[in-house]
Amino acid sequence: MTAIETTAPGTSRARPSFYLKYMVEPYLYLSPAIVLIALVMLVPLAIGISYAFQSVNLLRPFQTGWVGFENFQTLWSDRKFWLALTNTFWWTLGSIFFQFFLGLGLALLLNTQFHGKRLVQALVFLPWAVPTFLSALTWAWLFNPTIGPLPHWLAAVGILSEPFNILGDPNLAMWGPVTANVWFGIPFFAITLLAALQSIPGELYEAAEIDGATVWQSFTKITLPFLAPMIAITVMLRTIWIANFADLIFVMTGGGPANSTQILSTYIFTTAFRKLDFGYASAIAVALLGLLLLYAVILLVLRRKLVKI
Amino acid sequence: MRGLIGAISAMAILAGSAAHAETLKLVEVITSPERTEVLKKQVEAFEAANPGTEVEIVSLPWGQAFEKFATMVAGGDIPDVVEMPDRWAGIYKDKLVDLNGYIADWEYGKTLTQKTLDMGRQTDGKTARMIPYGFYLRALFYNKKLLEEAGVSEPPKTMEDFMAASKAVSELDGKYGYCLRGGPGGLNGWIMMAATMNGDNTFFDADGKSTLNQPGSVEGLQFLIDMYQNGYAPKDSVSWGFNEIVAGFYSGTCVFLDQDPDALIAVAERMNEDDFAVVPMPVGPAGKAFPTIGFAGWAMFDTTKDKDLSWKLIASLSSPEANKEWAKRVGVIPIHEGAEQDPYFKTPQFAGWFETLNGDQYVPTVMPTYLEQFGYFADSIALETSQEALLGQISAQDLADTWAEFLTEEYGRWKAAQ
Repeated sequence: MTAIETTAPGTSRARPSFYLKYMVEPYLYLSPAIVLIALVMLVPLAIGISYAFQSVNLLRPFQTGWVGFENFQTLWSDRKFWLALTNTFWWTLGSIFFQFFLGLGLALLLNTQFHGKRLVQALVFLPWAVPTFLSALTWAWLFNPTIGPLPHWLAAVGILSEPFNILGDPNLAMWGPVTANVWFGIPFFAITLLAALQSIPGELYEAAEIDGATVWQSFTKITLPFLAPMIAITVMLRTIWIANFADLIFVMTGGGPANSTQILSTYIFTTAFRKLDFGYASAIAVALLGLLLLYAVILLVLRRKLVKI
Repeated sequence: MRGLIGAISAMAILAGSAAHAETLKLVEVITSPERTEVLKKQVEAFEAANPGTEVEIVSLPWGQAFEKFATMVAGGDIPDVVEMPDRWAGIYKDKLVDLNGYIADWEYGKTLTQKTLDMGRQTDGKTARMIPYGFYLRALFYNKKLLEEAGVSEPPKTMEDFMAASKAVSELDGKYGYCLRGGPGGLNGWIMMAATMNGDNTFFDADGKSTLNQPGSVEGLQFLIDMYQNGYAPKDSVSWGFNEIVAGFYSGTCVFLDQDPDALIAVAERMNEDDFAVVPMPVGPAGKAFPTIGFAGWAMFDTTKDKDLSWKLIASLSSPEANKEWAKRVGVIPIHEGAEQDPYFKTPQFAGWFETLNGDQYVPTVMPTYLEQFGYFADSIALETSQEALLGQISAQDLADTWAEFLTEEYGRWKAAQ
């Protein structure tokens, strides 16, 4: 089929300008999506960030206004902020570490052939489907020595000196929500890594076997490199997710005792909705956002350097 | 719940269409299905006694009651009679009818306890803005068996006894003295101890400064800290809330519990009634104790078309019989003298509360809920800092200073707004 360009006499034969056609037109087609994204994401984000530079306290409705970096100055000298930041670090690291390695182990187990695999696979996913509020309450009760078995078991195997509630001990309290989070988050890693495992061509393993590679060698030389892109992206997603994940902590300990489980997101919540100080809460949120962005950039750079596929 | 509200509004519409009847509007704000049932029955009795009168009940769930009620009033949809919690009385006081005259002429006016009248007149000390329908009052639950086992012959009367008895019980294996509420809602305990050791329960002195860091108050805070750090309270009680302390008490982990009468319902279900009793809170060096009190009552808005009829409704709800039934079902202490003679209340459990109400050495303490940031103070600041103090991260003096500074500032703001 040939297109013959015909121009009616009298009209211009000039083409629409190059600029208009290639630079502007595509965005016109994209505009509904862009407008939508801007409305539901960028505008609230910009407003939220702008709050960080204002005094917005619902209890003092007449004292609002721009305050520059005042909120951030307060933040710098706020003992609770640094405490919450440290807690956020340990909370995220502890959760992600166990979730990842246990999830990876589970995925490797599920990648073998056994009877009833489909059923097990479905069951493994279950914790992910339980509402976090419910799992937090259940775990809180499990750790309660009056009702739950865990403290008694821990005392019986000698981890605890006597059956007490670790959620009430400032040095141990963080382990409570971390345990619940590990239980809750393993399926995510298991399922995503399992999907990646299943996409590795079987011939590679056969070839390795013929060449006399050990199981460990074929794991480090074949499995890991193939999994690496998926690992990088899931670890990044989950880290950001966990750092922002306040539900479990909020229900299980409420940030206590004595702020020992207060993480940045629970601190933001209390500042915004108990103190009703939205300006300061936004400043903390912006700080958290900045840290997470930095983390994401570092991880993406690392991924580009290390992963060669 | 929604069905119930729907049914009630449907009834209300039906009631409204009966044009000949005089309609009173009654708003209840601390709603639960059982409560509404009792209220409906009592209102029906009132309607039967006053033919031609209809009462429309509007039930607001407590969670959103404040906003909903404020919107109703602001929008001009003002009820005739309202259930008024203590912390709202200050807000609506200028719109409420002074009930003093009515109470004076009322056949049951004489039997109202003095504390009932005092609390009803709490906003300015003179004007009766409401008739309370019952009290949530702190008293000390104790486990008779455990106390006996520890060799303590009688429940503590003074703070010293309290500490000594707690110590004695803690020497038993796996048992503790006090079900300390270190977690959510623990502020009342701290305030009570501070006031008792200080011998005074005014929150602010004449200059508007908080009394919480006066030496006596600091001693009171130190009392609870000692209780915990000496091991007279369970180790995890630093994060205990309502459910945990009540469970700690009925499971026999700890021997003393300070609670309101509504906790009695949960405790009585699980403990033999011979095994525990309730006594007034122990008194401090000044010979006084300051248990915290909370209450709600019936109040009349001055926009009502028929004041006498509205009063009749309040009087009918507040009559000794109706009030006794209400108190039993809701879990509050009734308001009329002689209620302690009723078989239901004539138990060693209720004795503690009646003794508190009738004794001069017990001065009920009302929390300064009128302060704007009081909720934030109680739920966040007080919670975190008191836990830090219990765990030995800060001293009682630091704790007192932090609290006093915050409350003084809030009080200044509140006063400036008056």
